Amino acid sequence: MKNPQIIIAAIFLVAALFVPLFVPTDYTLQVLFRVFLFAALGLAWNLVGGYAGQLSLGHAAYFGVGAYGLALFSRLGISPWASVLLGVVMAVISAAMIGKVSFRLRGPYFALCTIAFAEVLRLVAKNLPNVTGGDVGVQVPALFMQSATRSFYWAGVLLTAFAFGLTAWIERSRFGYYLMAIREDQDTALSVGVNASRCKLWALLISAAITGLGGALYASMFLFIVPDQVLAMEISTEIAIVAMLGGAGTLLGPLLGSVVLETAAETFKNIFKEAHLLIYGVLIVLVVLFMPEGIVGTLTSKLGLFKKAPPVPFAAPLPVTAEEEAQRAAVSE
Amino acid sequence: MANWFDVALQAIINGLLTGALYALIGMGMALIFGVMRIVNFAHGAFLMMGMYATYVVFQATGISPYYQFPVAGLLLFVVGYATYMGLLRPIRGQVDFMVILLTMGLALILVDGAQLVFGADYHQINIPLLSRNIRLGSQISINAPWLVSFAIAAVLACVLYWVVTHTMFGRAARAIAQNPYAAPLTGINVNRIQAAAFGIGSAAAGIAGALLLPVFYLFPDVGNQFKLKSFVMVVLGGMGSIQGAAIAGLVLGVVESLTSLYWGNEWALAVDFVLFILVLSLKPSGIFGSQRA
Repeated sequence: MKNPQIIIAAIFLVAALFVPLFVPTDYTLQVLFRVFLFAALGLAWNLVGGYAGQLSLGHAAYFGVGAYGLALFSRLGISPWASVLLGVVMAVISAAMIGKVSFRLRGPYFALCTIAFAEVLRLVAKNLPNVTGGDVGVQVPALFMQSATRSFYWAGVLLTAFAFGLTAWIERSRFGYYLMAIREDQDTALSVGVNASRCKLWALLISAAITGLGGALYASMFLFIVPDQVLAMEISTEIAIVAMLGGAGTLLGPLLGSVVLETAAETFKNIFKEAHLLIYGVLIVLVVLFMPEGIVGTLTSKLGLFKKAPPVPFAAPLPVTAEEEAQRAAVSE
Repeated sequence: MANWFDVALQAIINGLLTGALYALIGMGMALIFGVMRIVNFAHGAFLMMGMYATYVVFQATGISPYYQFPVAGLLLFVVGYATYMGLLRPIRGQVDFMVILLTMGLALILVDGAQLVFGADYHQINIPLLSRNIRLGSQISINAPWLVSFAIAAVLACVLYWVVTHTMFGRAARAIAQNPYAAPLTGINVNRIQAAAFGIGSAAAGIAGALLLPVFYLFPDVGNQFKLKSFVMVVLGGMGSIQGAAIAGLVLGVVESLTSLYWGNEWALAVDFVLFILVLSLKPSGIFGSQRA
């Protein structure tokens, strides 16, 4: 436990478990649920977008499939928790298919392809009212009966803790290093024997499972979903922005990003009313212009916080001896 | 009674008429993508700005959008040029995703700004041309405004093509597209050319917005669907090929029109995306036009 990011997160998450004992209002807890939900989603996205450097803008697909999985399977008479599990399985299956196609593409092509898949799912969900309820929406069973808001909040914190622990473990594992190698230079990673397609796909499958679980929680919290809510591009971008704001490819980033972004969004909604998206847009532009590495990344590079042992440079210049120094001086004259 | 042939022909003609406007939007996006590898998520918001600008001018002066569309074009050229110089140039060299995020943020600002200024209501303008229909044969009829916008869009598309292929600016832009590192060595001012390309691409979206105004509803988020379609066109046309994007625009118009006819309007956008995914997975270099602008 040398990594200060893990210690900070552990203290924060344990403290978060006790918050419901002090915060009586449901409203505050709902906002906090959203904070932790998006922290978990951001952490899940971070595996693909941050560590593996595959910038997905279609995570709403897995979110929506998880949400609709819960709603539709339980409509068939399956118990809610089993439906959650089936929804997660469906999200993983859809991730396998989406990943198969889109991981062959790089850069902006990849991002556009993930958007296209999520949009196709949204439009299909909208246009098949017999199956999904279409724009009219569909009922979602409640996962928690007693003191629901608190239970959802705790579930959100636990999901975040799970996603965080998993990320921390992956970051230190061989798999994690493969992912980072792919991000830095896919061709070089391939040349040293990293199976890039398989690594990326595994990262996406894990990511999709957590995202699908988050979608199911979200749906059950609202008890009712429509395609434009859970499969919207806004969900995809919000997930990505949470992670980028906090710092993509950092452990603490998505957690911090969600705390900042979700509380800011909620505050904006209350203060600026209709203009809150405008402020949100300004925030995004400012982050890209002035903090492109995200909050954690900027703290690391500017202030030297969270600094790990400096990585060994690939081709470190050898120290220049006095003899060489003299030789060079001679040549330049 | 209309037979199936007339119905299909009517749908294809309607598709081509819409497709010309798509082509203009797609060419603008292809120019931006081709020269800078920038996926401009604010393209739809720029189109929306063009629509509102035309709407404001129309309300103030009553001049038909078909005469005053250059105003929207000029405005959007300036906006595009300034966007490049002020926002995109400082982050050049960073990963693509930063550019995507930045233009997304810009789109949010513009769309929500429009909502604050003009409200979320739907607007429509009324010009005498709207009630005119041109009949071809006994079954086919063409709504006059669409024909006019088709003609203007076709002329502008040809002009844009000529500019890219035959002017000094076009040559410089294509040189940057081919090799952004060698181009400055030959004395090309990369920043100015890229800013101009961004401005011209944005102006194409703005003019398309002006031409859409008489035949479409106007609301703050109107650009979103056109933004998504322009991605599809750019990929279909071969990333960065502006003539490819133009053909893709026409094809997209016809495909949508036929989809609406046989499956229903609600499936049109879904078919666009399925086409998009198929092209990306089977022939990522695009199907029309191999040369990159």
